Amino acid sequence: MRSRLSVFAMLLLVAVLVLSACAPAAAPGAAPAAEGESTEAAAPAADSGEKIELRVAWWGSQDRHDRTIAAIEQFEALHPNIDVVYEFAGWADYWTLMTTQAAGGNLPDVMQQDYARLEEWVSRGLLSPLDDFAADGTLNFANVSESALAGGRLDGVLYAVNLGTNSMMVVIDADKLAEAGMETPSPEWTFAEFEQFATELHDKLGILGISSDLSNEQLWKNTYLSLGEWVYNEDGSALGYEDDQPFIDYLNMVKRMQDAGVAETREQILAQAGGSVETNLIVTEQAAATYFWSNQIVAMSNAAGEGRNFILVPMPRPDGGASANYLKPSQFFSLTSQAKHPQEAAMFIDFITNDIEANKVLMAERGVPISSEVRAALEPLLNTPQRLMFDYIASIESTASPIPPADVAGHANFINNVYWPLALDPFLFGQQSVEDAMRILREEGNIVLAEAVGQ
Amino acid sequence: MNEAISVSAQPASGTKPAKRRKAKYRHDNLMGYLFISPWLVAFLAFTLLPIAASLFLAFTNYDVLNPNWKWVGLQNFERMFTRDPRYIKSLQATFYYAFIAIPLRLIFALGVAMLLNTHRRGVSGYRAAYYAPSIIGGSVAVAVMWREIFGTDGLINAILGTQVAWLGNPTTAIWTLIILAVWQFGSPMLIFLAGLKQIPREFYEAASIDGANGGRQFWHITLPLLTPIIFFNLVMQLISGFMVFTQAFIITGGAPLDTTLFYALYLYQRAFVSLQMGYASAMAWVLLAIIAIMTAVVFRSSSYWVFYGSQEE
Repeated sequence: MRSRLSVFAMLLLVAVLVLSACAPAAAPGAAPAAEGESTEAAAPAADSGEKIELRVAWWGSQDRHDRTIAAIEQFEALHPNIDVVYEFAGWADYWTLMTTQAAGGNLPDVMQQDYARLEEWVSRGLLSPLDDFAADGTLNFANVSESALAGGRLDGVLYAVNLGTNSMMVVIDADKLAEAGMETPSPEWTFAEFEQFATELHDKLGILGISSDLSNEQLWKNTYLSLGEWVYNEDGSALGYEDDQPFIDYLNMVKRMQDAGVAETREQILAQAGGSVETNLIVTEQAAATYFWSNQIVAMSNAAGEGRNFILVPMPRPDGGASANYLKPSQFFSLTSQAKHPQEAAMFIDFITNDIEANKVLMAERGVPISSEVRAALEPLLNTPQRLMFDYIASIESTASPIPPADVAGHANFINNVYWPLALDPFLFGQQSVEDAMRILREEGNIVLAEAVGQ
Repeated sequence: MNEAISVSAQPASGTKPAKRRKAKYRHDNLMGYLFISPWLVAFLAFTLLPIAASLFLAFTNYDVLNPNWKWVGLQNFERMFTRDPRYIKSLQATFYYAFIAIPLRLIFALGVAMLLNTHRRGVSGYRAAYYAPSIIGGSVAVAVMWREIFGTDGLINAILGTQVAWLGNPTTAIWTLIILAVWQFGSPMLIFLAGLKQIPREFYEAASIDGANGGRQFWHITLPLLTPIIFFNLVMQLISGFMVFTQAFIITGGAPLDTTLFYALYLYQRAFVSLQMGYASAMAWVLLAIIAIMTAVVFRSSSYWVFYGSQEE
């Protein structure tokens, strides 16, 4: 009898230990089960003054984290019943984190989204439509133009709200340009003029004519966008262009510039593993120009310090092409399908979009705000680089090419496993001809792309 | 436990005291399992289950987000060896690294262990100092530091007065990782040191009376008597060498030209960047097989070169 009692006591003890150890771990796992009722459950919680927890996630630099957290604190002050729990990380870690959470069924309520990933996330049912919230006024788009929202629509359904408008640009150090006695290039410059311009800068100043990786896939995209084509076909199962020649010409130019010391070589780029906007060689005056996304001018100027002057010019284009620029939603906020508080999530997205005070803190760090009222309110507060960015976006608005389709499902795999390792790097390191590189890009690329769409 | 139950269930087997003993035995067993049950539960849930799941996933095209994944048989394995040039490159990089870094590290560890195998003052301080890199060596901080040291504007270039892109050059990049690995010689060094201390001093005394110099003493006494230790270190280092990840992940990211794309790094990229969990699981099981084969080869070869004091020549 005694022994049986002790076994029972033991069992009890073990059960308590195990259960208490499991309790916190079990909570996130239980989330998907409750998903169905979440909408109903959330609404009374908001009314009854009971504190609800709204989860928000984004990627970005330290500057963005600080600004976003400050805006979140304002939101919490306005809504004392909402406790915003936030997560942030760098670009690559962010997607690992989100993917893991998606698989575990515990995505945050609001997540930052990217144009490149949007289609994939929507096709997998991980994001919820926002149209109902726009219709009932929770999301107020009275001051937002349709073109600013278009990037967040898929088949007419709004899945993501643009946080700022962006475009690529060439940044030229104005003082270096003056030192070289050269003119600002035309906004419609071609690759040939670009090569000549950078080479002349290099020859006259003895520093890099242009920094950053000119072989980046963005420039591959720009080339075909400018020619009225697109890099992927409509269903994302293969490359979307027939003629490799424009990009062959472009890459030959890049190689010429690298060999002449005008542009950074792939070797030099890789050696600065983890290089960021702040460590770009234009910051340290080792390069006379570079290229960026327009919102990055702010972080870059901050790093460069006072007393520097920059000129922003649109991206160069292939001969005879249209603008190589398009207006891109820099990033979005999306409501996930695993959200526990969709209503509050929509309120938060609206707050970030329309609240003037919040945007004074965010200060267009994510790109030019989409609300005209917010833009007008920020106008007098802009510092020099921010004003440059606003003016640049305004200057290309009428001439920019239409926004290309969002990246296809196989995009990331294509870039990581074909574009760099099989095609471009072997060419840039002199191990294969550019023609072979393009042939492999097409052959291997089409396999990877077709697989991603299940063909 | 089943056995105990079935035995005690047999009627009239043995005398009464024996029966009691078995009951007590059964009771003790149960208590034992209860005591380790928290560990058992965690082991089953967080180790055995994921292992089984990865074995299953290795035969699927599971990619985390897509709900329509299916059984693909041996396709993942077939693809690895026939249709994935990067996989072959990752094998090359891993073997290159393992076959150079591990012997170098062991030689270095043995050398330092012999230097420290004295009774001079302060030798324990040195021991701790030389061991330190191994404690911190696998850490992210050291990898970041390494990246800075070998960076274009880093320490090495500053000393040499050059502007070499050590981490961007396909020849030099992997050597920065090999040097890092050699620098972390601490734990094999400690094991070597323990082995050296076990070699009886009389052997050396006898040898020096016979006129053997330091070199001969090393070849004929130290090295043969140390072979079991070398064997142990070799096996341990081999296993960890094939699983190297952090350094390459942070310092080079597999670049340039995939020359530092170590197996574990490529596996990570496939799993968490490309989200091809099925393919990555298949890769993990092949890695297990590779490590098992390499270890088996070392074990088999050991009868030719490992000398245990007790065995007859």
